[in-house]
Amino acid sequence: MNEDWDETLKLTLQKMLPLLTSFIWVALSYMPFDFLLPTNIHANVAVVCVYYWILHRPDVFNLFSVFWVGLFEDILTSAPLGSSIFQLLLLYVLIGYMVKYFNGKSFELLWLGFLPLAFVVMFARWFVVSIYYATFLPFPLLMFSFLLTAAVYPLVTLINVWVQNKLMIDEG
Amino acid sequence: MQLSHIRQLLKKFALVILFLIAFVMMLLNKTDTVLIDKTSSVATDIVSPVVDVLILPARLLANAYDYLKDLSLAHKQNQFLKAENRRLRLVSERARSLEIENRLLAKLLNYTRPDEENLVTARVVAEEGDAFSHSLIAYTGKNSTAQKGQIVLTDKGVVGRLDKVGQLYSKILMITDINSRIPVMIENTRVRGILAGDNELNPKLVFTPISADIKEGDRIVTSGVAGVFPAGLPIGVVSHVSKREIRVLPFADLNKVEYVKIVSFPLDEESNLSEAGVVEVRDE
Repeated sequence: MNEDWDETLKLTLQKMLPLLTSFIWVALSYMPFDFLLPTNIHANVAVVCVYYWILHRPDVFNLFSVFWVGLFEDILTSAPLGSSIFQLLLLYVLIGYMVKYFNGKSFELLWLGFLPLAFVVMFARWFVVSIYYATFLPFPLLMFSFLLTAAVYPLVTLINVWVQNKLMIDEG
Repeated sequence: MQLSHIRQLLKKFALVILFLIAFVMMLLNKTDTVLIDKTSSVATDIVSPVVDVLILPARLLANAYDYLKDLSLAHKQNQFLKAENRRLRLVSERARSLEIENRLLAKLLNYTRPDEENLVTARVVAEEGDAFSHSLIAYTGKNSTAQKGQIVLTDKGVVGRLDKVGQLYSKILMITDINSRIPVMIENTRVRGILAGDNELNPKLVFTPISADIKEGDRIVTSGVAGVFPAGLPIGVVSHVSKREIRVLPFADLNKVEYVKIVSFPLDEESNLSEAGVVEVRDE
């Protein structure tokens, strides 16, 4: 009985690992690492995480996981509630259209494929929030954030690969 | 049978429903209802401990880096601090005599002094700043008498004001955030205005009289209008003056806020906030 319970708990945790890892990444991205970077440049790691897990483990990281990651980020920030959810849902839709081109591609090509998608969703969020405030938000800050996001992609992906290979059991 | 049909329908339209939820959230946020405010405060209380735990190793790393950096500058800083200490001792003596003189004159004129403020120190747990918003999460809440609207300082100047106050954690809206509006004045000319953030690095000074002579280098302090904030708290200096806009460089290093002081000033409830213009831009 106890073993069954242990097994169920283990499986549930395994299935939740992509979501938990994404939460940790998002939380980490809001830590005050002042000694490394100015506060006003922020890497959008939620976008990296959603991109990775939707492409690699869509069985355990689905539409609702995307929603929860967005909500978690929205709560942490003072940006309009729902804007991060919108951004990540849009990424989910775009990946859905592009997934056939990404299947089985190398890390470098996936990185290259990530760049236009990340830019489009970050720009879309910028546009929606600009409409929300009825004023254009500073575009250079968005560009810096995009460049930083592109730069941290390998690191975030590397850790996500490690989580997937070492901590998760492939049921298939 | 019907339940499975509903489930299938939900699955089919889940994406549309979630998009709609996101937009409804944004709309509700725009109206700034009490519901959103309270939900957000509770959510901050739930999420912030996660960040607070994760912060420990990062903080250690940052402290070690700072320690090593300080060590290399120790001798130079020591010389500078000794000289500054000598200068400040003279200033302190002068300030003490001026304070006594001020008290005597106030007594003579039967002047009623404004209420004294209390300071609460809080540790910063998380910070965010990008094109969308500029805010901090600090370990202070209703348990330590924090209230929405209270002004937040570092040792150098004003950082922002309390926006969402939970039981243990609070969100601080920085002066650079697009929703921030603080009544201020030029220290030497007493010209009043509003310091407005726009998510840029330096906030704007708006609603100043056209005839006002504002120059680069002028010091900006809180005006204390409507008694929401104490008057005279340092904010920054005018860094850019043009026909289109006036920008202010904050005294506080907004890139490096580790601890903050929250000024607990007697407030006359929320009404004062709107009176002073210390309302979020969406309310205007």
